Formats: sequence, C-alpha cells, structure tokens
Amino acid sequence: MQHEPDHDAALPPRSPWAGRERIAGLTLTLFGLFALWAGHDLPFMTERGMGSGLMPRALAILIILCGLIQIALSWRDSGPSTGTWPMGRNLPVLAGVFLFAVTIRGYQLGPLTIPPLGLAVATPLAIVLSGLAAEDARLGELAIFALIMTLICIGLFRFALGLSIPVAPWLIGY
Amino acid sequence: MEALIQLMNGFGTALAPMNLAFAAIGVMLGTAVGVLPGIGPALTVALLLPVTFKMDPGGSLIMFAGIYYGGMYGGSTTAILLNTPGEAASVVTALEGNQMARRGRGGPALATAAIGSFVAALIATIGLAFLAPILVKVAVKFGPWDYFGLMLIAFVTVSATFGNSPLRGLTSLALGLWLGLIGIDQLTGQTRLAFGVPNLFDGIEVTTLAVGLFAIGEALHVASRHAYAPEKPMAISGSMWMSRADWARSWKPWLRGAAFGFPIGALPAGGAEIPTFLSYTTERKLSKHPEEFGHGAIEGVAGPEAANNASAAGSLVPLLTLGLPTSATAAVMLAGFQQYNIQPGPLLFATHAPLVWGLIASLFIANVMLLVLNLPLVGLWVQLLKIPLPWLYAGILVFATMGTIAANPSVIELLLLSGFGVLGFLMRRYDYPVAPVIVGLILGPMADNQFRRALQISQGDPMVFLQHPGSAVMIGLATLALVAPFLFRGLARFRQDED
Repeated sequence: MQHEPDHDAALPPRSPWAGRERIAGLTLTLFGLFALWAGHDLPFMTERGMGSGLMPRALAILIILCGLIQIALSWRDSGPSTGTWPMGRNLPVLAGVFLFAVTIRGYQLGPLTIPPLGLAVATPLAIVLSGLAAEDARLGELAIFALIMTLICIGLFRFALGLSIPVAPWLIGY
Repeated sequence: MEALIQLMNGFGTALAPMNLAFAAIGVMLGTAVGVLPGIGPALTVALLLPVTFKMDPGGSLIMFAGIYYGGMYGGSTTAILLNTPGEAASVVTALEGNQMARRGRGGPALATAAIGSFVAALIATIGLAFLAPILVKVAVKFGPWDYFGLMLIAFVTVSATFGNSPLRGLTSLALGLWLGLIGIDQLTGQTRLAFGVPNLFDGIEVTTLAVGLFAIGEALHVASRHAYAPEKPMAISGSMWMSRADWARSWKPWLRGAAFGFPIGALPAGGAEIPTFLSYTTERKLSKHPEEFGHGAIEGVAGPEAANNASAAGSLVPLLTLGLPTSATAAVMLAGFQQYNIQPGPLLFATHAPLVWGLIASLFIANVMLLVLNLPLVGLWVQLLKIPLPWLYAGILVFATMGTIAANPSVIELLLLSGFGVLGFLMRRYDYPVAPVIVGLILGPMADNQFRRALQISQGDPMVFLQHPGSAVMIGLATLALVAPFLFRGLARFRQDED
C-alpha cells in the first residue's frame, strides 16, 4: 500500500525523544514487558519437554529486544516527528465502531440497557459519527451519504447475502 | 499431460455462470481498488472474508483471485495518469508512464501496460498450471521437518522484505507470532494469554486481525491526516492505440518482464517490487534509446507492468502448493481458504482438485475480462478518483464492522477489531509493515505444529532438523537470509511494500 508523505510528520522532531524511532522503541519495549507479564504464570518447562510458557516468553523477549535495539538506533537517527496526535479526528472513528457494536443487537452497558436497534439505526449512527472525523464534513451531505449506505447495507447483507443481522426489530420485527 | 486434462476440467468449473459472475465481480472490484490510492487488493479481500464465509468456496476464491489480478491492472492506470501509484507494484510504472502521459502519449502507455499485463499474466498462469503439479509431487514427500524449514524461510523473508528495515519486519512478525499464541494450547490444553475472556479461548480470528489492521487502521490513518485535495488526472490526448513502433519496442520487455515476475513471485521471498525494479533496470540497459528513460520510454512501462502481473500469478504457486503466502494479498487469501476449512498445500490438489483447477482456469478468464475492461473503459475507472476520500473510508469502516458482526456476533469481537485498528494505525505512524503480523498469526501455529510433530517422530531429538538434507538446507538458507541484510547493506534496497 502506498501512502502519500505525511505532511505534519515529515518535520524533524523538537527533541530526539519526540522522534518516531525512539517512541516506537519505547512503545515496543513496554508492550514486550506487558507480554512477559501476561505469560508469567505459564509453565516454562515440563518434564515432557517444552512447556506452554516457553514460546510466549521467548517472543516477549524478542519484542523487548527489538524495542531496545530500536531505542539504541534512535541515537543515530531519531526519525521524523510523530506529528500531532489527532485525537479529534481519530476518536470519532473509533466511537463510530463502538456505537455500532452496542446498538446493532442491543447491549447491557452497566445500568443502561440498549435495545437491539438493527441496521436501520446503527448504520447511520456510525456513519454520521465517524464522518465527523473529516475536517470538511458537511452534515447535510453526510446525512444523504448515510442514508444511501444504510440502504445498500440492508440490501446487501440482509437480502443478497442472507445474513441474520437485524434490520429494524423495533419496527418490522426482524 | 495430466495437468492439461485437469485444466480442461477446471475450465468446465470456471465457465459455470455463477463462477463467471464471481470472476467478473472480482476483476471489477480489483481494478477499482487498484485505481484508488491507499486501498489495495489485500484490504479488499480482507473486507470480503467475513461476508463470504457462507458462500460457495469455489466462487469466492475465484473472486479473490480476480481482485488480486485486477489490483495489479488498476494500479497502472493511476500511476500513468496521476503519477500516484495505486499500489506499490506500480511505483516504477509511474516513472516512465506519467512522463509519457505528459507528452500526450498516455494512450499508448495505458495500452502497453494493459496488453503487457495480459501477456505476462497469461504466460505466468500457464507457468502456474504446469509448475504447481510438479511442486506438489515434491511437496508430498515433505516431512514435518521440511515444512518447518520452509516456514522458517517464509518468516525470515517476510520480515526482511516487507517494510523499511529487517528489524521493523522482524518486530511485526514477532507481534503476529505472539498474537498467534493466544488461546488454548493444542498440546497441553492450557489456555494462554486469554485474560479470562472466553472469546479468546479459540484464538484470534485471522479475519478480525486482517480487517482491523488493514481497513480500520487505514481509515484511522487517513482520518488523522489533513484534508486531502484530490489531484486531477491527466486527460488522455491523442491516439489510444499503439503504433507499429510501440509494438516493436514493447513485446520483448513484456516477455522479459514475465520472465522476471513469475519466478521471483513464486519464491518465498517474492513479491512484486523486486521484479518490477529488476525489469526496469534491465530494460534501461538493453534499450536502443536509453536517453528516453526518465522522459517517457515505453519499454519502462511495458516491462515492469508485465513483471508485476506475472509475480501475482507466481505468488499463487507457493500459496496453492505449499500453503505459504509470499505477499500480503496471498496471506489474506490463505485466511480465505482456511475459513472454509480448506488447507492449501500439496494435499489440496488431491482433495479439492476441481476447486484448485477451477481457480487456475478462472485466472485465464479473469485475465481476458481485465483486458476488455481496462483498455476501452479506462476513462471510467479514472472517474473513481472523484469519490471524496472521507466517504470512501466511512464506507470501508461500515463494511468492516458489518462483516465482523455478521461472522461473529459479539461486542468483544468488535472491541478486538477496534484494538487491532489502533494497532494498525500506530504501525503505520511508526512505519512498521502490517503484513508480517498476519503472516505470523497464520503461519505461527502451523510452524509450531510441524515443529512438535517432527520432535515427536524423532522422540525429542532436535537434530532431526539437520539430519534431513531438505530441512537442513532450508534452515541454512533461512539463517543466511536473516543475517545477510545486516551484513550487506546494499541488499536493503530489495524490499517490498505491502500488497
């Protein structure tokens, strides 16, 4: 896959600690430590040979090593800045997925009971919410797009592919 | 001869109306995603996995192969008319093709790319049909130690050739292997790394990982960047057709491109990048008009385009005969086989002969369809670039979520999908290749299995891997391939992008 150069990430970092290489190495090392902890209660070796904990530990150590090498290399070249963290544009996308997940078949979210709303509601909700991630989003355009996508999805998934995803249980019963 | 009879039977399968329809859908989708920047055949097949799991395996695999071939065709269109290659294998095409388009020779550039792709894919598919049965005869004699050696080669080459450095590839692979450990250990029956979540006991679904990393990750990546202003594609002026001189200058590069693409695509270290670059440099050396290179030499389009299509067919050889994916798309296609409980490998040709040969025969048909679709309709495909990017990604997002919920209706699965999406986004940000994660998740448990079977046969003696000449050679090659890029920095330019 080809990516266009990332404009805000192409700048040199303000300090090597903000450089891509070192942050990547740190993230990896932390993840490797987490992996090591996650597999710590599995037996390393058994009397019959390899235990189920051998590979998880070996790979966790490999990941930590990769992270440490990456950190070491970052002194030679700290890489471009990781850029700004565009949470304002990323969170709506993730929130869209989450909203879809809890509304499609209904979900018990603590004290809140979400009824199964089906494709007819969950799809436009997810599209409008994730569409807000675009800087130039226009609500009217987005609404029309959501409507068309919803119709396509219902037609394709429910009727053409025959998958048992609820369409609008509160209205038509399936 | 036996292959020929099987292939004829395969045409019987492939020409069934339903399968023709699947091939047509596949090549159209493939061309479309090839044209669109940022979306490749790997992402598309991943998105389609969850929605096809209830369909006929033959039909959907034919569609996946059509997408793979179509992606290779479509990529050249944007490379020539926009100078933004739709997929990595078309980077070289953009060098000369865009220059030709600037000089009013966009028509012949598109024509030589399309016809060259056709010729090369035809040769390579014939190669696939005849090489695969021979390889199967060798592979049925493979013991578990040989398979383990082969997978080691695949691990090393996948991490060495994807991405910007072997270290980054190795890191991605290790992540994938680690994710592959999650779930119940087949040997001890112990649950590993599942954190008490019942959904994780059966391990991580390849489709969830692939859709999360490719689709959600890419959507997050696009959303995180500033507004994207679409470029205006160049209008095709002048004749669409190639002159006699164009033909004379194109046919040899086509054949040479196919000769580079097919074998390199078939190697475990394959991919489409290396053969396209090799083809380009070769054509520049052999050309009678070396001064034209960089200013729109038709050989520089004909050769690399032929090479990238031939490599797509080549990478199906190890996938079908050994069950080894050598490109991102092949890795996702392997997941496609697995969702029907079909394991690619030498036995595939015995147990699912009609399916495999139908698939191979459909490649010939898809290739003809692509030629017809691409040459006269090129203007139509370029219109796709007018779709606003946010719409496209919103569509992908909905499709990804929908497919996952259809295949596995649970909120946990969607949370995993989002988690892998964030992982895919971070990996793109930090410039780590995504494909080795998927290869690791698929091949990790398989390698583990072969390793343990070998040790069971040898009663725990690890020397078994070095006593058999086949596995000894393969393990040696894997070690060499692991060390070489660190020793010879020059080799680093042989890398492949994903797809």
